[in-house]
Amino acid sequence: MKVKRVVGRIFVYLFLIIAFVVSVFPFYWMITGMTNTAVDVIKGKMTFGSHLIDNFKVLFTTYNIKRIFFNSIKISVLTTVGTLIISSMAAYGFEVYSSKAREKTYAAIMLSMMVPFAALMIPLFKLIVKFHLINTHAGLILTSLASVFIIFFFRQSFKSFPKDIIQAARVDGAGEFKIFTSIVMPSMKSTYAAAAIYAFMTSWNSYLWPLIVLQTDKQKTMTLLISSMSSAYFPEYGVIMAAIVLATLPMIIIFFTLQNYFVQGMTGSIKQ
Amino acid sequence: MKKRMLSILLVMVLAVSLLAGCGKKETSSNQEQQQQPQAPAEKTGKITIWAWDPNFNIAIMNEAKERYQKENPKVEFEIVEMAKADVEQKLHTMLQSGVKDGLPDIVLIEDYNAQKYLQSYPGAFADLTGKIDHSKFANYKVSLMTLDGKVYGVPFDSGVSGFFYRTDYLAQAGYKPEDLNNITWDKFIEIGKKVKAKTGKAMLGFGLDDGGLMRIMLQSAGQWYFDKDGNVTVANNEALKEAVATYKKIVDAGIIKKTSGWNEWVAAFNKGDTASVVTGVWIVGSVKAEASQSGKWAVAPTPKLNVSGSVNASNLGGSSWYVLENGKSKDIAIDFLNKIYAGDNDFYQKILVDRGAVGTYMPAQGGEAYSKEDAFFGNQKVYTDFSGWIGNIPAVNYGLYTYEADAAIMAVMPDVYSGKLTVDAALKKAEDQLKNQIGK
Repeated sequence: MKVKRVVGRIFVYLFLIIAFVVSVFPFYWMITGMTNTAVDVIKGKMTFGSHLIDNFKVLFTTYNIKRIFFNSIKISVLTTVGTLIISSMAAYGFEVYSSKAREKTYAAIMLSMMVPFAALMIPLFKLIVKFHLINTHAGLILTSLASVFIIFFFRQSFKSFPKDIIQAARVDGAGEFKIFTSIVMPSMKSTYAAAAIYAFMTSWNSYLWPLIVLQTDKQKTMTLLISSMSSAYFPEYGVIMAAIVLATLPMIIIFFTLQNYFVQGMTGSIKQ
Repeated sequence: MKKRMLSILLVMVLAVSLLAGCGKKETSSNQEQQQQPQAPAEKTGKITIWAWDPNFNIAIMNEAKERYQKENPKVEFEIVEMAKADVEQKLHTMLQSGVKDGLPDIVLIEDYNAQKYLQSYPGAFADLTGKIDHSKFANYKVSLMTLDGKVYGVPFDSGVSGFFYRTDYLAQAGYKPEDLNNITWDKFIEIGKKVKAKTGKAMLGFGLDDGGLMRIMLQSAGQWYFDKDGNVTVANNEALKEAVATYKKIVDAGIIKKTSGWNEWVAAFNKGDTASVVTGVWIVGSVKAEASQSGKWAVAPTPKLNVSGSVNASNLGGSSWYVLENGKSKDIAIDFLNKIYAGDNDFYQKILVDRGAVGTYMPAQGGEAYSKEDAFFGNQKVYTDFSGWIGNIPAVNYGLYTYEADAAIMAVMPDVYSGKLTVDAALKKAEDQLKNQIGK
């Protein structure tokens, strides 16, 4: 009996160790790469080198990295906040207020998830040009505010929110907006946190649309910068790795701070 | 009820103004820039340029900008740096949408893709015939940007190819530099075998699915995947047959170190695992990056194919500047390219020294930077050699689908290596596949 358990444990640990190595290796590679020269990175050097400061110096002198990093942060934060407000209100509307067309409208919106972005790109671009939003961050933010996935995600969570509470609040004279902001929102914190991680990540990583909309180096985001750095006759891998580390940091910070909420949010906010 | 509506309204106004705020700033500054330059006679305006490669094209453009601004201080530049694939993606989207806002004035396009843009978007690029003296540029480079007798671009960097080799390994195998001049690929393989036997080092880093070398072989024979009129010539192409057969011979001879992808391929010679590399002149930066190998390298002419018409000069890659017909500052952009890229000898010396860029502007090639000895290459005057070879590169029509053809041929190569298909059968299969794909 005991032997069996020990053997089982060994397998579990073995599996976990392999999974650990597979998921941590890219980070290790990225961090050692940041301290080496391009030649060493190409040669596959796996140990720490002494070029960390040089690489960062090049990164900060050749590129307007502060501005670009700030651009990314600004776009992602505004998109996340906006998406959470708009999409959660939309989802709440779909779940709480019933009408004949409700499910049909919802289905139509869900279906739009199946249209690939490449098909929307050119019409959307024309629209943005008409609105004079080309080369502006607003052109990025406005187009991603209504996220179908996040509406879906919120609606699933709202399904488990007891409707009796809403009724009770109405009886007590609370307005609909008040019910949403002071009763529903606070009790769905973990759902909001999970959606925030998702929205932030999508915005932070988005690449194709910023590429099309943004026209100048001043407006650029981190993803565009990293992509442009690697397109060269002689790519400076050490510097690229340094930029990648910078670009990874916010995601790591956000994920670790909201981690607990994230798991809760995924499994449902309301415990019945 | 009213209060509730009011609060919703307020939140929405707040959100909209927040977003509009970050949009407005840029548009207003754009307007300022457009209104500002009004002084007569003097050239004013703003040239927007899209290009890739921070240490090469971008750095060179910055140099060109400074030179132009000395004469025309009121011309502003906006040099936007993007990845190569990004420039292409963006250009396709904008040209397809037909929108004129936000178009650049000058854009860098890779030579292999030039015809694709020129033919897919007629009227999108400015005709530069007569505005730039194209006779001063390398012939092969001008012909790839010519469509219906009109020349649309300003030739920029050359991918003139060379046979870079390690003098120490070759000497160990008993070869002197003279033995490596103007050889054929068959001779190259023979040398490779001896190098392998004597030093244990592979002759070449070689990606089994990389078509770069094949394009070098083809162009050295004045052939391509397409003929002068753009028809597919894959199955009945003597040079291509010879090139495919040579690929197989190289693999069979056991003189290669198999690599996959760019990084492994570069690592092979940086680590000293291979004795040579046959590729475009732009590799110099990567070769020199391994400073410990200084003095151990030399360059010989590209080996030629065993077919009539093949010469010891070829090309891999390279790109050129194009002016957009609907850009805001079209005329200034042409003037800029004409003054610097088609007229400034000194500029070409500077970018060669600083960036290792070999231009295709022939008058510049007699300059002092081109005749300098390079200690890394054992005091060989490498750029004198390269510029000599540039003039001999046969002109070919790259057609619209170089990369598609490349992929179709590389897809049948495994069967050629294994002997499952003969060269003829393999090329027939590749041609069918290619015609299918491009709809011809």
